[in-house]
Amino acid sequence: MLDWLPENVSVFGEGVDHLFSLIYYISVAIFILVNAIYIAFILRYRRKRKGERAHYYHGNNLLEFSWTALPFALFLFLAFYSDGVWEDIKYTEKTPNPDLVVEVMGQTYLWHFRYPGSDGIFGRRDVQFMSTTNPFGIDPGDPNGKDDYTSINTMNIPVNKTVLVHLSSMDVIHSFFLPNMRVKQDAVPGQWVDVWFNSIKTGKYEIACAELCGSGHYLMRAVLNVLPQAEFDHWVDEQYGNALAALHASTAPASSATTAVTPAASTTGETNQ
Amino acid sequence: MDAALHTDQHLHGNGHAHRESFLRHYVFSTDHKMIAKQFMFTAIFFLFVGGAFALFIRWQLAYPGEPIPLIGTLLPSTWVNADGAVTAEWYTQLLTMHGSIMIFAVIIPLLVGTFGNFAIPLMIGADDMAFPFLNMVSFWLFPLAGVIMMAGFFMEGGMAASGWTAYPPLSAIASPGQTLWIVALFLIGFSSILGAVNYITTVLNMRAPGMKLFDMPMTVWAVFVTAIIITIGTPVLASALAMLFMDNFLHTSFFLPENLVVATRDMSRTAGGGQPLLWQHLFWFYSHPAVYIMILPGMGVVSDVLSTFARKPLYGYKAMVFALAAIALLGILVWGHHMFQSGMNPLLGTTFMVSTMVIAVPSAIKTFNWLGTMWRGKMEFTVPMLNAVAFVSMFVIGGLSGIFMASTPVDVFIHDTYFIVGHIHYVLFGGSLFAIFAGLHYWFPKMSGRMFSDRLGKWHFWITFVTFNGTFFPMHILGVGGMMRRIYDPTVYDFLKPLQPMNEFITINAIILGFAQILLVYNFIHSWYRGRPAKRNPWRANTLEWVAPSPPPHGNFDMPIHVYRGPYEYSSPASVQDYLPQTVSPDELAEQRARHEQRLARQNENSRPVETAL
Repeated sequence: MLDWLPENVSVFGEGVDHLFSLIYYISVAIFILVNAIYIAFILRYRRKRKGERAHYYHGNNLLEFSWTALPFALFLFLAFYSDGVWEDIKYTEKTPNPDLVVEVMGQTYLWHFRYPGSDGIFGRRDVQFMSTTNPFGIDPGDPNGKDDYTSINTMNIPVNKTVLVHLSSMDVIHSFFLPNMRVKQDAVPGQWVDVWFNSIKTGKYEIACAELCGSGHYLMRAVLNVLPQAEFDHWVDEQYGNALAALHASTAPASSATTAVTPAASTTGETNQ
Repeated sequence: MDAALHTDQHLHGNGHAHRESFLRHYVFSTDHKMIAKQFMFTAIFFLFVGGAFALFIRWQLAYPGEPIPLIGTLLPSTWVNADGAVTAEWYTQLLTMHGSIMIFAVIIPLLVGTFGNFAIPLMIGADDMAFPFLNMVSFWLFPLAGVIMMAGFFMEGGMAASGWTAYPPLSAIASPGQTLWIVALFLIGFSSILGAVNYITTVLNMRAPGMKLFDMPMTVWAVFVTAIIITIGTPVLASALAMLFMDNFLHTSFFLPENLVVATRDMSRTAGGGQPLLWQHLFWFYSHPAVYIMILPGMGVVSDVLSTFARKPLYGYKAMVFALAAIALLGILVWGHHMFQSGMNPLLGTTFMVSTMVIAVPSAIKTFNWLGTMWRGKMEFTVPMLNAVAFVSMFVIGGLSGIFMASTPVDVFIHDTYFIVGHIHYVLFGGSLFAIFAGLHYWFPKMSGRMFSDRLGKWHFWITFVTFNGTFFPMHILGVGGMMRRIYDPTVYDFLKPLQPMNEFITINAIILGFAQILLVYNFIHSWYRGRPAKRNPWRANTLEWVAPSPPPHGNFDMPIHVYRGPYEYSSPASVQDYLPQTVSPDELAEQRARHEQRLARQNENSRPVETAL
């Protein structure tokens, strides 16, 4: 059954899959054991003649104790064993230092991605500025934001690099689901959640929304391109160029090279694939 | 039903037979047995509504965008497109209403409403519930709520469409159908609380003389514990619903953060500052225990049925009661496991993982005790027994698949996939619904005064059992493949395309499964009028309801009831038969034994000459 899992290309995905198969084999073993006993009882302890009597027996405390204690030990073991992987994936203090930070914003029914540009710093955002044309609520007055660039439904990342995603939503709850990365995290409006992953293989993967967000929920699909570093750098340069070009085009009369990015400019500079 | 009425009046033992008007007897009845039947018929009606919705969902998933066969073009244009295929809008309404109807209008009314009402007074030897009028109100709120929930059909935007979990902001900025859903759930919650207060009072105050708490059958224990969970959990749901209602209507923002960018609604009067996760905490604080509300009574019914038909005392009766109490207690400490990926602090993920793993223990205890009950029994595979046996096996699968999602890292992947859908259906269909089938057949003779058709019952069981597994087991595989819940068209995603044959297989099974339920209804309706008349105690069972006439008259018993022992004295060496009813006094028992020994002695005398002759 585990063969049906989508290919894992994530660094921590192996830990998840290991736990998955561990629990799978434990539960298959328990299932076979319980059902073998069960079927044996069904076949053996049938009433064959009228008036036959069953064994008059009310129970055994030692057995009750042992089938309380054994599952208790097993389940506690599974809980603590699972917790190691969980902490690695989700605990903030265990998140490795990111090589790339991307902001992701869910909107019915698309995903916005925002990259920090050449300075590596995101421009300030404020919920007051949020609108359909400025999904991240970027502050037009902040110079750090002028080289930021965004894209819709396409996320490009370099291979073998830790990517940290700041995740939120501008309307309803979405869920950022990367099956091949073993990543799933709800995007909650009014709240920023961090989630990280590190892809060990280049390729084109799918991003899905896993939380019902309306009748177009099923259409909320994005593409994740895991690129070799050089290709990723090239793409970044291109985006940076586009962002600046768009900026110049829209603010040409102002004639200043350092004009702030307007919300409109930042979204028209997006890449669509 | 006429036949039932006539026998009812014939057997009116206490001699104060009174004629009730039609309205008083069938509609606004305060008799717990009639209310149980009302719950049953209404819930079975909704079972077919919810089932039909499920089949539309399945059709769309197996054959996305293809017209529904036969009836596609007859459906209203708000539901289907010009070809007769399900639209995405209707699909979201379908999945919302399927979940809401099955949980709130089928499983809970059947387990708590029907079995609670029918079995509790009869099993504890009471003449009715403690508050018969409250009981009637509790019933009538339920069809009213059902109608309100479905009335969204007539509104712009259709029925509620934010899932049965109704997560805001989606549910807080929704169409009027969502508001009707909120009102309906509020009423159903009210009905639940009225019922629960009634059950608790009845169990505590109205037990027959001699009946200690630990002389109560598991069904009574289970509904009693369930009632306690309802009184703790439901008010929380009610308050959450009230807040959601206000967020929808009064521009409050309990669940709405600042400056939501929403095209469909003017948000300028909503201040924001609320927290969408607050709803999830409040909702699951009720709705996780609600899972136990939907399984505990089933466990009780199955315990009684297994013990009766294995002709053997229930294994570890007290351990079973303590396990129920443990599930109830732990059940209110695990709600966060629905929220591992919700953006809740991951530290809480660890906490809720541990409590969730621990709650698996009492479920394991119950399973092993059911196995123990069957060990060295003399099982008779009647229809109720078959369904009860299936319950245990299916519940094991549902329990084991729960371990996957309890483990937080695994849940990262399978959360909100079909793995969850498979799991919930193994618990609520493989578990609760098989227990309901077991209970309905078990008490059918008592309820109607007639026997159901054994052959039809067995056909219904086997078809249901096979196609149930054919429908829901492959859903685990879909989940492992990553298929998300609640998506209208899986073929949009490349990684889901290989799963499409599985989706078709599931749909074919689901269609057979759905139509097989007609057998159940046909069997019940036909047998209700034409079935062989039932004896008082057709299953040779120990509990008190089998002492009353079938069907029991108003007031239930035609003799004074005194309880001398626990409910599970099957195959006791003290008895001359393989069962020993709770009402048989020690004197009566001694008399029976004396008579039995005399008879044996006579037989021996008669057979001696033959022996010597040989």
